[in-house]
Amino acid sequence: MTFFTVIVRGLTRRPVRTGLTLLGIAIGIAAVVALVGISRGFNQSWAAGMKARGTDVVVSNMASSLIPKPFSASVRDRIAHLPHVAATCTLLVDVTSIENAEMMMVSAREWGGFAWKNLKLISGRMPQDPTEPAVVLGRTAAEVLKKKVGDPIQIETRELSVVGIVDGNAWVENGSVILSLPLFQEITGNQGKINIIDIRVTPSTSAKDVELLCDQINRLVPEGRAVVASENISNSEASRMVRAMSWSTSLLAVLVGVLGVMNTMLMNVFERTQEICVLLALGWKRWRIVRMILWESALLGSLGGVVGVLIGAIGVKVLGATPAIRGLLEPDLSTSLLAVSVAIAIAVGVISGLYPAWRSSRLTPSRALRG
Amino acid sequence: MTTDLVTQHSFASPRTLDTATAEPSGYVFEAAGLEKKYDDGRVHALRGVTFTVTQGEFVTITGPSGCGKTTLLQMLGALDRPTAGSLLYRGNSIPDLRDPSIYRAHEIGFIFQAFHLLPTFTALENVQIPMFESDLSISERKNRAVTLLQSVGLGHRLSHFPAKLSGGERQRVAIARSLANNPSVLLADEPTGNLDSENARLILELIVRLHREQNMTLMLVTHDMSIAQRGSRTIQMKDGRIVSDRALTIAAD
Repeated sequence: MTFFTVIVRGLTRRPVRTGLTLLGIAIGIAAVVALVGISRGFNQSWAAGMKARGTDVVVSNMASSLIPKPFSASVRDRIAHLPHVAATCTLLVDVTSIENAEMMMVSAREWGGFAWKNLKLISGRMPQDPTEPAVVLGRTAAEVLKKKVGDPIQIETRELSVVGIVDGNAWVENGSVILSLPLFQEITGNQGKINIIDIRVTPSTSAKDVELLCDQINRLVPEGRAVVASENISNSEASRMVRAMSWSTSLLAVLVGVLGVMNTMLMNVFERTQEICVLLALGWKRWRIVRMILWESALLGSLGGVVGVLIGAIGVKVLGATPAIRGLLEPDLSTSLLAVSVAIAIAVGVISGLYPAWRSSRLTPSRALRG
Repeated sequence: MTTDLVTQHSFASPRTLDTATAEPSGYVFEAAGLEKKYDDGRVHALRGVTFTVTQGEFVTITGPSGCGKTTLLQMLGALDRPTAGSLLYRGNSIPDLRDPSIYRAHEIGFIFQAFHLLPTFTALENVQIPMFESDLSISERKNRAVTLLQSVGLGHRLSHFPAKLSGGERQRVAIARSLANNPSVLLADEPTGNLDSENARLILELIVRLHREQNMTLMLVTHDMSIAQRGSRTIQMKDGRIVSDRALTIAAD
């Protein structure tokens, strides 16, 4: 028999209570995995979409919403001539309900702009001119909307035609309805308005020059803010809010887990008072008792963490496959997030065990001879 | 039953105590003016208890309920501290031990009236519990526990949980457990108090045999005078005082 056997027996003596406590931690950790994974995934999906479009710098006004605010398309004229700017492409992007899909990314692109170039036709064709009432669908969007080439598609009040299915080489691109900018401006009543300017810099531009370019644009364009594409979403106020909310909600769930484990371990110590006193009477050092309680608590936490990571990962995958958000984001279930989640669970276990362990160390062995 | 489960003690010096300044006195225990008060002095459990115990003695402590028997046993086992007086184990002051757990683990074997086996551990595992404080390897601990259980006649009950054992069998496991770290003193608190008369007789025989074969010092608390007569000496207590302390001529089987 090893010391680990003693620890396991301490937990298995009340299997239902241990199981429920474990489930409590697991739900807390699942919340961490799901909420943080989704918020991180949202940022990464946007960044991947921009990378796929070949965008180096983004000018937009993210303000406190996840979709940037529209501004005049003429802003592009103030930027296009700046040093290191190789090309620009204006976009009007929105998230809206389309037919049965509650949330669908609509990405309207400047006709002939570089943002069209990364799209690879899977079937059908591209729109032939900017005024053609036609869209191409990313392949995930086509699955979600259950559309094929030739089908009609209702966007706001206009019925357009699906002329092609494309692969955009990124989760967000594949989940988008893509059409020409003038068409979407007309549909939404946003004539002359855009909300994103994608900028591609000249090939030899250094990272420092990109930063300087952003500074220069920010001085010239008070309507928007220029940032390096990979940081666009993560720097936005909305993204920070989502991150803060996801972490605070997760921490609340974890706190509930801490209280659950502490309650269980305290009950465990109270119920085993006689036993712990007997162990002391038999010569066990107090430190061994403390270690026993802390290990039990940590084991409970780590098991809860593993189960929570599984629940969270499966839950997020299931959620990501639902029509409501499918194609909008790819949850980040990176090894680092999963490892951090399990580490949080173990920390929950240890922290929750500190007070019960301290209580157990205060017991006096003379109680062993009573009763 | 086999009996060669442990080597006999030489008792030249305690193996593990940390108050090394004491001069060997030849006594296992020396108590002088031992006092114990509880509840801010409202309960006076021991009043000036003085006695000595030599190696290999079988001392029974008797008296009515509340006379201080168990309190005295707690002092001897370093489970509690006296309020006043001195209490030495082989010349070392028990209340001044830096780490009483070492003393409890290696010098003392406890046998409780209520057995106090851990319910989620088998008989074999219960006997191994005190050995976590020894230097034995996992396999050595297991082998020793098997030997000890065989010596108390429970070789066929190794994997039984306490709930599946009779009262007599539980106390046998507890006795095997008390011998886990090869102690030099056995402290038994009403070891037959929870047993029927036949099991009580068998358990007493077992304890007496172990005491005799291993030359251990045995301090046994009982309120049963017939059991008290089995010792080589009996101390009778009343109201926290020793009222008689007499050697018995025969420590009968």
